[in-house]
Amino acid sequence: MRHPHRTARLALALVACTVIVAACGSSSSKSSGTSTTAAKKAAAATPAKLVGTFGITAADCTAGAPTAGSYFRMVQSGGTLAAGPFVANADSPCGDKTYTGVTPGTDGGLENGKFQPQPADPFDATKNGVAAAITQPSKFYAVGFALSTNPKDPATGAALQPPQITVDASGKLSGQISALNVAWNGQQFSQGSPKPDGSRPGITADPTGTYDAKTGKYTLEWASQVVGGPFNGFTGSWHLEGTFTKS
Amino acid sequence: MLGLGLVAAPFAFRMFSRAPAGGEMIDQFRPYMTTAKIGGFQRDMAEIDRAATEARAELPARLGLTPAQVAAQYPTYADFDRRWPAINADMTDMLATMRADIPKFEAVDALPPFPLFPWFFVVPGALIAAASAWGLVRVRGKRSRFPAAIAVGVLGLGLIAAPAVFQMFTRAPLGGQMIDDFKPLMTRTRVERIQGYFLVIGSGEGTLRTAIVPAATARAGTTAFPAIARFSADFPAISNRMAPMIGAMSDNVDNYDAVKALPPFPLFPWFFVIPGVLVAGLALVAARRDRPGPTGTTRETAPTASAAAGTPIPTPSGGIS
Repeated sequence: MRHPHRTARLALALVACTVIVAACGSSSSKSSGTSTTAAKKAAAATPAKLVGTFGITAADCTAGAPTAGSYFRMVQSGGTLAAGPFVANADSPCGDKTYTGVTPGTDGGLENGKFQPQPADPFDATKNGVAAAITQPSKFYAVGFALSTNPKDPATGAALQPPQITVDASGKLSGQISALNVAWNGQQFSQGSPKPDGSRPGITADPTGTYDAKTGKYTLEWASQVVGGPFNGFTGSWHLEGTFTKS
Repeated sequence: MLGLGLVAAPFAFRMFSRAPAGGEMIDQFRPYMTTAKIGGFQRDMAEIDRAATEARAELPARLGLTPAQVAAQYPTYADFDRRWPAINADMTDMLATMRADIPKFEAVDALPPFPLFPWFFVVPGALIAAASAWGLVRVRGKRSRFPAAIAVGVLGLGLIAAPAVFQMFTRAPLGGQMIDDFKPLMTRTRVERIQGYFLVIGSGEGTLRTAIVPAATARAGTTAFPAIARFSADFPAISNRMAPMIGAMSDNVDNYDAVKALPPFPLFPWFFVIPGVLVAGLALVAARRDRPGPTGTTRETAPTASAAAGTPIPTPSGGIS
């Protein structure tokens, strides 16, 4: 009963093979330049590692929302990155207090592929975060918050990789920034993506951005939901902007 | 069977996951459940209240604005001003509950560590089961089960004594009352509301410090707002105290739920006493029936001197056995 169908399938398979072999022969008969172009395309499609520092430009935001530069926003629990609602920080230098502008630290910005750890004592006497390599500590609710990237998550002790941001041929940035940590008010908050355990809770979003290889100008954004602590369920939304400097 | 029941109980009540969650909650609340700490929070609330009262009374006139204009110009302060009375009432109520529960918390904290709770059932249960099995083996081997009965009896008495030793009859009911008192506080909704309070208070303080007081001072020259100035000077310290406590509450909502899902605390001592009485009672019966005879064989199996001599043994009913 099944023989006619099997014959038909075999015939179809033979025809398909013939077409494929013919196509391959035709392709191989073309010049070797085609394979070189393909190899170039493949190489270009592979994201390239950037070695250096994402220099941070301070936010220009005195009149309202930032028109340029780097900033942080906090999305309230249940909100969205696009529409908030956002936490207003009266200590922000920005006119729009839902943005907190950040300024470059002693290293000028975020080093790619390297840790910029917090000091052994990450807080001063009034619980302000003191790490100042990536950005200068900024006030949030009267207490300074400080960024660092650490080989071990200060909150959980989990081992972490240094930030790894790559660029593709079209200048798009991607990668991971799991090691980013914020020290504030005597407490440690993982603010990278993915989180130290590899998860992406809530609206956590991996780093994305743009990079102009000619000028070094870049933008880099990511979001990281706070898990546990007084801001459990809130999400830090980060926007870095400036010039990448190769090292 | 009773021993195996004790071993099974922690699995049935999922104590191996729930009891450590309770222990974690106790550990994380311990720093806050003191009179000094809660008294500090209560003083913070009073300080914020004085600042809020002063701001409402003084600022509009000093700014040369009506209250409605102040609200329109400084919306985050207006939000604080509008919501503060309710926040103060809610926080004051919460802190009063926590303060009243300090002795209850201390009683629970004085119990053996929560993660050990399931083992308090498993270990004696396993020992009782093993001693009983030992007794069965001895009977099959035509030996006296008396030693095994004694061992089981001692274990039973240990179960009866354990709640008294650990003062469970007084501490466990207090723990149950604390769990009940915390019920309205330890919900995700309530904790998120308290997170929101922190933001409202912080935004209000920040707006007063960075915008309103400077504006009032600029307009009216040197203007003293002692309560507001004190609030702003102390706010980082208030924040240092408040944020970790809110964090501890938030981090323990799931732990609280786990503890709440355990059997009621006041029943815990009886989970030891009742099996203990049953075990000890059965062991006593077994021991009485099976006391060793003069030759080391059991009473039931030991030939009496008269039987050995071929003399009929009178039965209690007067017959001849």
